[in-house]
Amino acid sequence: MSENRQIFSLQQVVSSIRKTIEERYQSSYWVKAEMHKLNLYPSGHAFPELVQKENDKIVAQINASIWNHNFQRINKQFIQVVKEPLKEGTTLLLNVKVVFHETFGLSLQILDIDPNYALGELQREREETLKKLQAERLINANQLLDFPLLPKRIAIVSADTSKGLSDFMKVLNNNPWNYQFFTMLFQAYLQGDVAAPSIIEQLKRIEKVKHHFDVVVIVRGGGGEVGLSCYNNYELCKAIASFSLPVLTGIGHSTNMTVAELVAFRNAITPTELADFLLQTFHDFSVPVNDARKVLRTSSSRLLETNKQLFSAETKHFKNSANNYLLDAKNTLVVTSQKFKNEAKTLLTRNREHLLFAQKECFNYSNRLFKVNREKLAEHRAQLPLKFANRLAKEQQHISELENMVRLMDPKNVLKRGYSITTINGQTLDKNNPVKIGDTIKTVTYDFELTSTILKKEEHGE
Amino acid sequence: MANEITYTVAFEELQQIVRDMEDGEITVDELAIKVKRAAELIKVCKNKLTSTEEDVNLILKELEN
Repeated sequence: MSENRQIFSLQQVVSSIRKTIEERYQSSYWVKAEMHKLNLYPSGHAFPELVQKENDKIVAQINASIWNHNFQRINKQFIQVVKEPLKEGTTLLLNVKVVFHETFGLSLQILDIDPNYALGELQREREETLKKLQAERLINANQLLDFPLLPKRIAIVSADTSKGLSDFMKVLNNNPWNYQFFTMLFQAYLQGDVAAPSIIEQLKRIEKVKHHFDVVVIVRGGGGEVGLSCYNNYELCKAIASFSLPVLTGIGHSTNMTVAELVAFRNAITPTELADFLLQTFHDFSVPVNDARKVLRTSSSRLLETNKQLFSAETKHFKNSANNYLLDAKNTLVVTSQKFKNEAKTLLTRNREHLLFAQKECFNYSNRLFKVNREKLAEHRAQLPLKFANRLAKEQQHISELENMVRLMDPKNVLKRGYSITTINGQTLDKNNPVKIGDTIKTVTYDFELTSTILKKEEHGE
Repeated sequence: MANEITYTVAFEELQQIVRDMEDGEITVDELAIKVKRAAELIKVCKNKLTSTEEDVNLILKELEN
């Protein structure tokens, strides 16, 4: 240790540091930093923790301070421009002065915060959420769901103190058509940093009992237009976009549409408008049902009337057709019968002519035959005496020839020529009637009859 | 509620009957039956508009499980 060492009091050192710093950092600077914690005290002063993160690791950190009057001004400006109060966890552009205080040490005194930069940051968050959902193809996932014909059973994510909720319920419940909705409230925070996890939590609960519901609505209103940047939160927007029931939003504001509203099945500007939309879907269902009744009545009577007319026309037509047919048939019959009559007459005439002709033919032929035969007969009669005389002469000649023959054959004639006939006992002699010596025989000649006795017998040899 | 016709089915069937009527697809023979059916469907649809069947207690019980 040196003997001539110089010893300073702490105050001297700290004052020296302060002086050095004051000299070195005379003006204020614009610094980009994340406000990790706000640390707002009841006094109205805030003592934020500022950090810089790289890959989620804090690479720089320093305490800061905002005095009450600065804080009021900054916050007012913020709400006006950004529509959000100052909130933790956002990157801000800060106008700071480096200060060193003898007892509090080194810190950054925040003089101002650029609300436009914060706005840009929010815009960036919004765009990032959109980009991520786009990449995951979730942007219109909820909108692609089938909307129920009648969204009767409604899971409401809201807060029971919300004016938006009471507006919504009033319209639903006081509808003059007596449409009945079943609603059930799932309580959630609706704005600020707590809103996103709170709404996500309720959506998870609804998912468990989703078969009891047709749609989910998120309604909010009456809370001004501040604190809505939570509806650009990626996790919340993803939960809405990927929800298995249509999610309808009515969170009531007039500035840029949040991502949650963009990805919802349908967004209404206000809860009242959302309720009106639901009533309209009931109308859309009810009107055709009522119309159906009318259509049924008119169509039925028209159908009956048409059929009646058709039937009567058909009857008339049938009557005419039948009459025409009968008339035609009658005419045909008359014509045919006339034709038949004529034909028959013609045929009859023709046959009669044939008959007459045949009769005449027959008559002529028989006359001719008669004549021929008569002539033949006459001819025969003329020839008859002639033929008879001839025949007679022939027969006479024949007879005379036969007479001659007979005359020649007469024994007398034979005897005359010298022949005799010898008999015994009246019988001619021959082998069968032989004679013996001593027999008396009779011999006849032309002039005599002699009786003799056989003296000798000799047999002729042949 | 399980064996009851859903309003979607009832509504679609009703719409179909109305379309058929308007298009002249319905014959006189079917008319009486169709009109009767349509009247039933209209009643079902009307009832659906003005009644609810859900039970909050049941849902709460399911949420606790």
